[in-house]
Amino acid sequence: MYRIRFHGRGGQGMKTAGRILGTSFFLEGFDVQDAPRYGAERRGAPIFAYVRASRSVIQERGVIRRPSLVVVADDTLAGLPEADVLGGQSADTVMAILSDVPEGTWRSRLNLDSPIVCIPRPDAIKGYAGQAMAGVCCAAVAARLCGSIPKSTLARAVREELGFLAPSVLERSLSEASRMFDSLAPYEAVVRDRPDREFSCDNPPGWVELFHDAAAVAAPVIFGGLTSRLLKTGMWRTFRPVIDTARCRRCWWLCSSFCPDSAIHVGDDGIPAIDYEHCKGCLVCVARCPVHAISAVPESRGVRQENGEEAV
Amino acid sequence: MSESGMQYRGMEDFPSTRLFGSGTPMCAGCGGLLVIHQLYDLLGSDTVFINAAGCMTLLSVYPYTPFRGSWLYTAMASAPAGAQGVRDALDILLESDRLRREENLEVVVLTGDGAAYGMGLSATSGALDRGLDFIYLCYDNEGYGNTGQQYSPATPHGAATSTSRGNGGFRGNKKDLFSLWAAHNPPYAATVSASEPLDLARKVEKLRSLRGPRMLLAFSPCPTGWGFEPAQSVMIGNLAVQTGIWPLKEFIGGKVEHTVLPEKRLPVEEYLKRQGRFAHLFASSAGRDIIAELQGAVDRYWEGVR
Ligand SMILES: Cc1ncc(C[n+]2csc(CCOP(=O)(O)OP(=O)(O)O)c2C)c(N)n1
Ligand code: SF4
Ligand code: SF4
Ligand code: SF4
Ligand SMILES: [Mg+2]
Repeated sequence: MYRIRFHGRGGQGMKTAGRILGTSFFLEGFDVQDAPRYGAERRGAPIFAYVRASRSVIQERGVIRRPSLVVVADDTLAGLPEADVLGGQSADTVMAILSDVPEGTWRSRLNLDSPIVCIPRPDAIKGYAGQAMAGVCCAAVAARLCGSIPKSTLARAVREELGFLAPSVLERSLSEASRMFDSLAPYEAVVRDRPDREFSCDNPPGWVELFHDAAAVAAPVIFGGLTSRLLKTGMWRTFRPVIDTARCRRCWWLCSSFCPDSAIHVGDDGIPAIDYEHCKGCLVCVARCPVHAISAVPESRGVRQENGEEAV
Repeated sequence: MSESGMQYRGMEDFPSTRLFGSGTPMCAGCGGLLVIHQLYDLLGSDTVFINAAGCMTLLSVYPYTPFRGSWLYTAMASAPAGAQGVRDALDILLESDRLRREENLEVVVLTGDGAAYGMGLSATSGALDRGLDFIYLCYDNEGYGNTGQQYSPATPHGAATSTSRGNGGFRGNKKDLFSLWAAHNPPYAATVSASEPLDLARKVEKLRSLRGPRMLLAFSPCPTGWGFEPAQSVMIGNLAVQTGIWPLKEFIGGKVEHTVLPEKRLPVEEYLKRQGRFAHLFASSAGRDIIAELQGAVDRYWEGVR
């Protein structure tokens, strides 16, 4: 069985990646499961998609804990505990990561001995507009690395899954998939088709007895205000807004009024400050500032600048 | 109210403090969230929000909330009925001196368009009949956002949604909820757009001086469901106003007044071409016909205005 786990952010097409890959396997006669997983969070938050493909009936269910292939669409996720990119990786798990950072760096950063395939990020997925294309690229990566899917089948699956989109978008998706597939010829079939697990009689779960509390105790009542601030949505960002305070005219808080997430506060001195723990990187403030005092910086560079590793 | 008596003359009169909490799970660039925080900054914490099922249900997922005050979740069709119960409870507490006057709360319904234009209409009409003292905020993202942008009765003609994917997009026409409210002759009803915060603040100021059923219908660009970059969220709102697609108006004292008159209306293409949900209209001659139809409807609307 192939067990493939995709990691990306909301908006990067991970659900699409799972569907295209799942359909490709299906067209090749495999038994297939594909399912995305996400919580209440939206665009920008870490998202998972799982695909299982086997020549026999699939008995496994649920999230994939022991992947044979992990595909990472966004390298900023590698360091996020919430994204759990390393979860369940073993010596023969292949990790493919779309990243311009070299393989050796990832090997030492993540302390991995297992195979890493580092794929330079295609131009098509750079910038905000292209992010959705990451899903198509990741499906092509997985198809090539698993090796059981010919290019023509991949193209058929892309047509099947994205046929409802505008013809120009479909054409671009097909050409990106094809380019990615071709570029990975040396990695054909590096992921091995592992034997399925035997399910005879799994141990029953250790039951936890739940008793009923009185409604006054058990009702989901929140007594404190503003607790949402405990959720650090700043990790959703792929770009961060940076204010050039020298250029800021201290206009009447335009950036702050238009920030959907109330993440810009204006001090008594009239200077706005961005709350990076919560800013989701929508870049509305960048678009609204009348004097262009706010610029968008890729998050990875923003972090390096914050740590003093790179000049601002 | 005289122009000079108004509190909000320019952006400098705007609150500079953000009362609404960060850390909610809404999409980056969510236009609905933007209008909620602008309203909340003006209304403050002496409020209780009654939320119909929709994207904004996820604002308060136990134990997290961005509100300083209260919030209650109801089924999709029932928010105005929930508001009635809360208002009645507050009134009983006030009358029996168990709540001081200064502790009174403003009851605010928070609802999506799917609920407001569709299955919530009956409960809303009932609340209007009973003269319920409440504010009704509908953030209109023109579809069932929470469940993956299926079409709703607020979806514009021709828009692609996950349940109207064909060449022509949505076959129906956007319902006129503002006129439905006006037909009930409430003390106040208005359309707003968060891209025009000053217009919004003035309307909130007026509505706070009145009692009874009061509505704000808020244009709420949805990057996820409409297919545009989050950074353009406010610009999409500007274009909806400048093309005349989203008229800013109010119903007060039995009359409809337009609060913003776009001097020279931009062609509707300027608005449509920036959104993935209308992309198919630019790809065929049948699509071009739909664009012409949409332009015709906007032109006819404004001819009727003056
Ligand atoms: C009676 C009922 N039917 C269906 C649902 C499932 N549902 C939850 S949210 C939602 C969409 C609501 O759309 P809208 O009111 O426009 O709010 P939005 O999601 O766009 O914020 C649906 C269909 C429900 N909660 N209740
Ligand atoms: S990018 Fe700007 S507008 Fe968007 S959440 Fe961050 S601070 Fe707010
Ligand atoms: S919008 Fe620009 S000029 Fe105005 S306060 Fe924000 S950064 Fe400064
Ligand atoms: S789907 Fe649309 S309305 Fe719902 S949270 Fe996302 S941007 Fe907001
Ligand atoms: Mg809606």
